[in-house]
Amino acid sequence: MNVVEATRLAVESIWANRLRSFLTLLGVIIGIAAIIATAAVIQGLNKYVEEKLSDLGQGVFTVQRFGIITNHQQFLDAIRRNRSLRREDAHAVRDYCSSAKNVAWQVRSTADLQRGDQELLGVEVSGVTPAILEIEPFDVADGRILLPFENDRAVPVGFIGNDVAERLFPGVDPIGKELRIKGTPIRVVGVAEKKGAFMGFSQDNFVKIPYNLHRKLYGTTRSIRISVQAADAASMEYTMDEVRAILRARHHLRPGDEDDFDMLTAAGINDLWKSMTQTIFSIALFVVGISLVVGGIVIMNIMLVSVIERTREIGLRKAVGARQSDIVQQFLIESVLLSCVGGAIGILIAMGVAQLLATYTPLPARFPAWAPWVAFLVCSSIGVFFGIHPARRAAELDPIEALRSE
Amino acid sequence: MPQAVIRTKGLQRSFSMGQTSVQALRGVDLTIERGEYVAIMGPSGSGKSTLMNLIGCLDTPSDGDYELNGVAVAKLPEHELARIRNKEIGFVFQSFNLLARATALRNVELPLIYGGVKPKDRRERAAVALREVDLEDRMDHRPNQLSGGQRQRVSIARALVTRPALLLADEPTGNLDSKTSVEIMALFQRLSEAGNTIVVVTHEREIADHAQRVVTIRDGLIASDQRNDAVAPGAQAT
Repeated sequence: MNVVEATRLAVESIWANRLRSFLTLLGVIIGIAAIIATAAVIQGLNKYVEEKLSDLGQGVFTVQRFGIITNHQQFLDAIRRNRSLRREDAHAVRDYCSSAKNVAWQVRSTADLQRGDQELLGVEVSGVTPAILEIEPFDVADGRILLPFENDRAVPVGFIGNDVAERLFPGVDPIGKELRIKGTPIRVVGVAEKKGAFMGFSQDNFVKIPYNLHRKLYGTTRSIRISVQAADAASMEYTMDEVRAILRARHHLRPGDEDDFDMLTAAGINDLWKSMTQTIFSIALFVVGISLVVGGIVIMNIMLVSVIERTREIGLRKAVGARQSDIVQQFLIESVLLSCVGGAIGILIAMGVAQLLATYTPLPARFPAWAPWVAFLVCSSIGVFFGIHPARRAAELDPIEALRSE
Repeated sequence: MPQAVIRTKGLQRSFSMGQTSVQALRGVDLTIERGEYVAIMGPSGSGKSTLMNLIGCLDTPSDGDYELNGVAVAKLPEHELARIRNKEIGFVFQSFNLLARATALRNVELPLIYGGVKPKDRRERAAVALREVDLEDRMDHRPNQLSGGQRQRVSIARALVTRPALLLADEPTGNLDSKTSVEIMALFQRLSEAGNTIVVVTHEREIADHAQRVVTIRDGLIASDQRNDAVAPGAQAT
């Protein structure tokens, strides 16, 4: 018997038991839908992070006390080893790193803002040297960014995010108005373009003030973060080496000592992010794998039931000339088709879920192009693996017994 | 010497039942020539079903030889037997064994599917077979839309469609009323006259009386083998 005939039979048989087939497939459907939806979300996140990081600009890296810490031991080591970065470190980089195009630094804290009797709690207040606004470009919606002399003289001015503007100055043009941080009046000189939320966290809830003003308000104990922009992306490695040499010299590190600071590049952050999402995906894959195995067992079960129900039919087919291989083929095609139908439904559901997530939540989701093919492969394998036993059982039926059965 | 469709020599079949073994056939020598219309009779437990399964290549003998249409089939492997069942034998069952979801035409096509016949030829040949049993106007009906007699005629058409060397019917009227039985037997008569070799297995005397030759099995052996002169070739069934 050829494959076309067997496929036609399988379709008829699955269609004749629509509801049962559908229920049988729930495991496979949920498994495939879950893994593809997860992949879609992760791919979307990766894309998003990549875009965000590319905002950093070409050839930019940062130096800070703590880099990315992924476990407790690293944290303990870093706390013991790494020293706070101070303004003098930044000055050294600025003065002695000849290959850097731009050097800026900033320090962050969280503060409550007041305006009149209004209060805005938990706003990110960072003290920046104005060059930072060139390295990490902020689009200005209104007013201007901070100016170098304002940092030099610690002028009480601020560049605010869209959230702060809307919530502290509702219906008012904030330019030229004052807000207070720790009782110090700060004059707003500019408002940033709205950036929106990322995974539920607003990116517009900030005030940027001159670094020297921040020192006045919060003291000098906080570690700063230095941002360095190399001449171009190609020379970034060289610039990083230069910065490393300058800081090691300043910190009196001997050859063989580990760096007591950390350097981060956009590519590094991106790699780390990817490896994180990869881990999440692997875990999801494992969980879904269990679901697919259960789904496969359910398919095997229903195929065994089907073989028993169709014992007479199998007997007849053998009587009119079906070989064992014909019967195996027929039942295998049926189980593979069944499983692939489940996979197809799963893909459709995953597409819907990805679409819904992208539309109604801050999670970006991109449907991966490889998903249908992989799902098809996986489902075919499930169909073969869990279908072979029932198919063999059908093929090995004794035609005389089978024809006699009720 | 006319060509034999069936030639068995010392055909034996035993079944082991735990410790003991039951000898269902104890050496059957039977020759059936081309074009013959033979009834195999016997009470239940006589071994006639076992003989039928052997003749139909659904089973293999424990001992003895069996030549079907000139081919020794006693020791063939399973897939060869399947091929022989497909090409050489047309089965007609007591309970019709039609596929409930398929039309009459599809049911008749079934053996041709396993014979590897192309779809277009398949449909044509199935239609011809259905015409031979006077069902050309019922081709697109499903079994549940057909009467018992019509269903049996569909299964006869299915048996005929491969132009087998042997038409093997097992109690073909067992599930039919007496009027329909007469119709079916008349059809067998007609097929016999058209040159088909027919073996009908039955326990009913009246059915066996339609055949030219009646072989009676008792206790695993041929008890009698008689020409039935009452039914001359070409006589009408009553």
